Amino acid sequence: MIPIKLEVNGRVLEASVEPRTHLADFLREEMLLTATHLGCEHGVCGACTVLIDGAPARSCIAFPVMLDGARITTVEGLADDAVAGELREAFMDEHGLQCGFCTPGMLVMARDIVLRHPHADEDTIRHELAGNLCRCTGYVGIIRAIRKVAAEREGAVVTRGTALAPPAYASPLALPVSPARVAVEVAPVPLPAAAVAVEAVADDEPLRNPVEIRESFEVPAPRDAVWALFQSPEQVIACLPGARLTAPSDGRSLAAEMVVKLGPMQAAFGGTGLIIPNPADWSGTIDGRGVDARSATQVRARLAYRLVESADGAVTRVSVDVAYVLQGPLAQMSRGAIAREVAARLTQNFAANLAARIRGEAPAASAASLDAGALAWSLVKGWLARLFGRG
Amino acid sequence: MKAARFDYQRPATVAAAVAALGGDHGAKPVAGGQSLGPMLNLRLARPSCLVDVAKIPELRRVEERADGVLYGAAITHAEFEDGAVPDPTPGFLARVAHGIAYRAVRNRGTVGGSLVHADPAADWPTTLTALGARVVLAGPQGTRELALEDFLLGAFSTALEEGEIVTGVFVPRCSAGARFGYRKSCRKVGEFAEAMCAVLADDGRGVHRLVIGATEGRHIVVTEAKAVLADPSRLDARLAAAGFDAEPATLRLHRKVIREAIAQIAIDALNSESLPA
Repeated sequence: MIPIKLEVNGRVLEASVEPRTHLADFLREEMLLTATHLGCEHGVCGACTVLIDGAPARSCIAFPVMLDGARITTVEGLADDAVAGELREAFMDEHGLQCGFCTPGMLVMARDIVLRHPHADEDTIRHELAGNLCRCTGYVGIIRAIRKVAAEREGAVVTRGTALAPPAYASPLALPVSPARVAVEVAPVPLPAAAVAVEAVADDEPLRNPVEIRESFEVPAPRDAVWALFQSPEQVIACLPGARLTAPSDGRSLAAEMVVKLGPMQAAFGGTGLIIPNPADWSGTIDGRGVDARSATQVRARLAYRLVESADGAVTRVSVDVAYVLQGPLAQMSRGAIAREVAARLTQNFAANLAARIRGEAPAASAASLDAGALAWSLVKGWLARLFGRG
Repeated sequence: MKAARFDYQRPATVAAAVAALGGDHGAKPVAGGQSLGPMLNLRLARPSCLVDVAKIPELRRVEERADGVLYGAAITHAEFEDGAVPDPTPGFLARVAHGIAYRAVRNRGTVGGSLVHADPAADWPTTLTALGARVVLAGPQGTRELALEDFLLGAFSTALEEGEIVTGVFVPRCSAGARFGYRKSCRKVGEFAEAMCAVLADDGRGVHRLVIGATEGRHIVVTEAKAVLADPSRLDARLAAAGFDAEPATLRLHRKVIREAIAQIAIDALNSESLPA
């Protein structure tokens, strides 16, 4: 906990803050100033925009510990501000809000736009407002409202470093919670190991919008030999790059861990799987679900295989369909072609290892986890590109 | 999400900042935090300690010299945009700054932070390289200066040594008739560019530079660009070498953006008003 001094909506206060607490949480949790909304919490949506020393900034990626001595103004602090008052009227007249979630950020940004750009035209307003997202897609009304107020203004004002008059009335509810949080020194807790339940349960819930990959390959072995391999969890897992069993399998359920590296990031998924063979048509499924303890990313996957005998019985064609769904932080990064490419490479390696194992060779890549290597940069870049634009 | 635990230090001087970073290899310098903040919240970056350099006086000063301006690394994009700091070019820096992300980001984000983050698709690395800027570094071994093209080694990768920080960036003075072309293609205002090109034609000093950003790795820097400006197709081999020819659409986009940046120079020559980037 580090002592800081801040001015919030005209009121000077001293507080003790945890370095990792961001400004929006500080305002909402400690000050009970809940008009500031948290949307994405990583600087993309603009809902949490507040004024820091008179200029708009994202409060979710600003940390009070770094703002010692700064003046913060939230929408509550704009209650008596003349320009904000005109904007509130205009937002009402022009239907500038529907659900209202983005509105605090919109108002803070709109005030800055009309001050810096009097007589702003629609193009200017759209450019300046591009960092504030409205999921009701009510931009037309918002822009009309801002344009209306901007049209009445004369003379551009630099907002950076300006001070705002505090509102006349401050809700007693919004007084700082005092004494603000007792400082508790907590020793860093080692990350828990991935939770692995050895008992796997049948999972009938279908995968929603999975990424699907289809691979098919031939192995020079009779169908019953290939079938036997698919019934052995040890052998199937050994063919998956970076995967290993974490507990002996009873042949039907399995507990496993799988490491996937994506450049600077690494995920270790721990989880369970269930093998359901269907000997009648030489097919089967392996359902699995796991979680990466570090990022709390969840994965659910289904591998369906089918074995088809060739004419002379010496060669077996193996079709593998993989469908997976990622949920959590890693999923945010790995949408799109890159994740697909990583998964496709995993499937290809699996197929190659399986073929090698059936031929009696040591699988080339089974011990090492798949390092996405060259893919990592494009993945990180693609994700960052969506995440935030930066100078 | 919320950031994982980290410690925090706010050293008062560059020497103290270098000492703080040297004493803890998990520590990271932070100024505006507009790129680091999201990574902290998503827990993709987990520094043991943040060393706040945003208010160190040496990183906030601006020094005007006969041959250019030395900007402290913690000067914000908004300060460039508003013309709050002197500009050794005919208005190029304000024009570039105006196109960076969003105003709420520009109010906090710093020029030094953008350079050390070294995203090939960001505005400052490409444009300041085109302007022939140099970075000033301070570290345990003292200070040194590097041309920006030697500092930026690739995507997210710089010549910064362990414990070193960028304290400033020096932008050379252009002659009055210098022309600047800058074009980037973004899917949405404020997004990272999918293609970008910055061109400087300063006949008065005999300097002609062209820089292509939004690459997968290192920027493509042409320091003697006069021939290329006359015939952009001379760049095709370098675009192919950078891997742009793998996707015809990407190659077309880069080629178009380069030609538009070069075309701006011709317009710039006729029209003293600079165009929005």
